[in-house]
Amino acid sequence: MEELKSLNRRSFLRNLGVLGGTLAVSQLPQFVQAKSSKEVKITILHSNDVHSRIEPFPMDGSRFQGLGGIARRSTLIKQIRQSERNVLLLDAGDMFQGTPYFNMFDGEVELSLMSQLKYDAGTFGNHEFDNGIAGILKHFDKATFPFLTSNYDFSQTALAGKTKDYVIFEKERIKIGVFGLCIDVEGLVDKNNHAGMRYLDPITVANKIVPTLKGKHKCDIVICLSHLGYSYKEGKVSDLRVAAATKDIDLIIGGHTHTYLDKPTEVKNAAGKITLVNQAAHGGAVLGRIDFILNSKTKEKRIAYNNYILNNDIA
Amino acid sequence: MRSYTKIFALLLTVITFTNCSTPKIASLQSADIYRIDSTITQDSSIVNYYRPFKEKMEQEMNRVIGHTTNSLTKSRSEAEFTAGNFFVDAMLAIGQRIDPTAQISLATKGGIRSEVDKGPITVGNIFELMPFENAISILELSGQDINTLLHFIAKTGGQPIGGMTMKIKDQQPFDVMIQGQPFDINKTYKLVTYDYLANGGDYVEGLTSPLKRVDTGIIVRNGLIDYIEQLTKEGKSINTTLDGRVKIIK
Repeated sequence: MEELKSLNRRSFLRNLGVLGGTLAVSQLPQFVQAKSSKEVKITILHSNDVHSRIEPFPMDGSRFQGLGGIARRSTLIKQIRQSERNVLLLDAGDMFQGTPYFNMFDGEVELSLMSQLKYDAGTFGNHEFDNGIAGILKHFDKATFPFLTSNYDFSQTALAGKTKDYVIFEKERIKIGVFGLCIDVEGLVDKNNHAGMRYLDPITVANKIVPTLKGKHKCDIVICLSHLGYSYKEGKVSDLRVAAATKDIDLIIGGHTHTYLDKPTEVKNAAGKITLVNQAAHGGAVLGRIDFILNSKTKEKRIAYNNYILNNDIA
Repeated sequence: MRSYTKIFALLLTVITFTNCSTPKIASLQSADIYRIDSTITQDSSIVNYYRPFKEKMEQEMNRVIGHTTNSLTKSRSEAEFTAGNFFVDAMLAIGQRIDPTAQISLATKGGIRSEVDKGPITVGNIFELMPFENAISILELSGQDINTLLHFIAKTGGQPIGGMTMKIKDQQPFDVMIQGQPFDINKTYKLVTYDYLANGGDYVEGLTSPLKRVDTGIIVRNGLIDYIEQLTKEGKSINTTLDGRVKIIK
């Protein structure tokens, strides 16, 4: 691919070097590279609420004008995959609706392109239901990655058996368990569009699945893909609430509220430890990145993160 | 291929976790935004994949479906505006194809998202005007509910309405005429709107307990496109004006 030749690994690392030089944080080189053979780095890349934004945002004076675009996201992800061995690419829902690409092609473009970018897993947002369950199924075969919908019971619908509660990835003997929490669509989605689907309480479901991932499957990292939303003034369940009411979730990758975080939020969980909550705005303007560096001997886990803004300033 | 500068807004932080019972967590490091002057180009394989879809989409968006002799403009502060009048007149016509006894129609100022310049109207114009997937609903409402709705319209300084006229003074409705007849609180009326508003969206009052509700499943945008194409076939253009259907009396 010509783009990668023009922006090769060396220049990418050089850029990181410039960054390291600018940063007054002496630890930077240490966490950019896994320290020794005992350390394994797992790189999590994530998007949410891309809303059919195949091309960059139009130059219309809006907040994200000129940002994003899946072809640029692809280049960035390919670069990261060239320099990192263990990359997981995840999406937190609302892939659909927002540009005529969805209205005209019913999700074919979104799902095909996410597959070409080699997404590892996604979850459903409320807008996935905009053309009903039949609409989700129309181009479902274009997705080469699983959808994790742990708190949706689709057993009485045509989607029965087509989504998963969780999936476990193994990278250099590190096990990463990922599950998905979806929003209550009552009031958000026309009832005909989700007929037969049952919504289960996200915290109850999380407290059932996480011990399975941690205990039975011995996952080293547990990630929740969520379309619940970052937080609400009223008591509605949200990522911050799930983080506080559960334990052993390392990271919640959120969506729905289109929240732009320049760094992940640390939440004290039910075990008094930290669960990170991150979200990457919307429309693919931002690509979230969290690196977990695990030392297999000391069990020490370190984390670094970048939230990349995909910008179109012409060089 | 255009080339792009990659800019990372970025911050880096280290948090150290240990698996001891009391984990030591290093505090977050400084959070600054750094620009990196390298280029990020579009992945040509991705662009090549979506180009045919893009071309097909642009062809459709640029397709001319009709003409308007006046610009259809919007205003949040005026009692009526041409984009709103066009929208509700079209909705009433769409609704009357399903139920010829439908009398009035309602939209909201906030729900009409853009303007259309005078001249040719494209599919893309209608997507901008109505980007949402809302579908036409026809509600049979009691006179009481219509009265509630009229008060909502009055206190919000007018909303787009079709099939009726009204005056507003001190945020109160008066001289309300429905299909040329004075409003009668003891009668029932059929109103064409869309599902989002029928469900109480945009804080509209009076719609959520109809005597009867028909959800037509017709996406408003598709209905508008069909409506304009039908006018064009009949050799007509859109000539919506400000006709004083909502008047605020100072």
